[in-house]
Amino acid sequence: MFSRRMFLGAAAMLALAPVAWAEGSCGTSIEFVDTPKEAAALAKKEQKLVFVLHVSGHFEDPRFT
Amino acid sequence: MNALANPEVGKFVNEYFVSSFQKVATFKIVNGQKQGGNVASYFCAPDGRVLHCIAGPVDANTFLKEAKWVVETTKKAMKEAGDDGAKFKAFFRNAHAEKLQRETGLVVEPVTYDWSPPSEDDALQFRDPTGRPLAPKLPPPPIDGPDVKLQEKELALRQAGAAKAANTPGMPGYCTDKAGRRWNIGNQGKADQIMAAHCMSKIESIYGTVFETILGEKISTKPVEVTTPFPWRPESNLRKIKPEDLR
Repeated sequence: MFSRRMFLGAAAMLALAPVAWAEGSCGTSIEFVDTPKEAAALAKKEQKLVFVLHVSGHFEDPRFT
Repeated sequence: MNALANPEVGKFVNEYFVSSFQKVATFKIVNGQKQGGNVASYFCAPDGRVLHCIAGPVDANTFLKEAKWVVETTKKAMKEAGDDGAKFKAFFRNAHAEKLQRETGLVVEPVTYDWSPPSEDDALQFRDPTGRPLAPKLPPPPIDGPDVKLQEKELALRQAGAAKAANTPGMPGYCTDKAGRRWNIGNQGKADQIMAAHCMSKIESIYGTVFETILGEKISTKPVEVTTPFPWRPESNLRKIKPEDLR
């Protein structure tokens, strides 16, 4: 009984907890680094291209992503 | 429309690109309504030169199609050009002109030499109050007209596709050719038209043109600021790179 109450309590806490965003993804499915300069340095090292997003709005507004 | 939240887009972008963002313009909230505000996506070489761009918000399929085009074209260009930078640039600008022709039926002459912007020391150079020159507005190459090799039905089909393409509200979704005729082009066609002359230029010389010419947004007169557009979220969310990762 005690363990069941603890389980229900933990479930309630999880439900009330704020949404945890994936690290670096800023609410998208893309991982962002801090600056384009860092992105360029990392891309050179990892033999990748660079993706730079220029925004003047909110990511969370679906019209802008 | 939330392309960047799409898992397939995320998987592809994370596999082939290292991503970052910058805030370049502002928006206002007037009576609870947002005025202004937009987005532009740039696919660049590791040295910061722009290979391709998407102007404005698009759906996940369109985004993925454009991102895959960049990766495939880069592979072909590297194979074709080897270590020759000028050849690589010419290949990419030609590829943009071919893409425009394939998607809209319109012909543009790729420019394989570089437009030189006014010098920063030029006495006539307009500057913002901080003394920094404004981002240049690059001239797009002129549209010659429709591809004469296309049958009328095929041209009509491609033009119908261009008419359906995303276009910024308030901006014309058409272009005018050398004979003064109007043709459907859409945002992506306009981006390819600009890229046919200016791709492989640095991002700071292209973003002003994309924001002002295609999206109709006034860019900030301040230099591009690396500030977060997510003020409600701690910056610690960002992926941290340790100096040893770059060695």
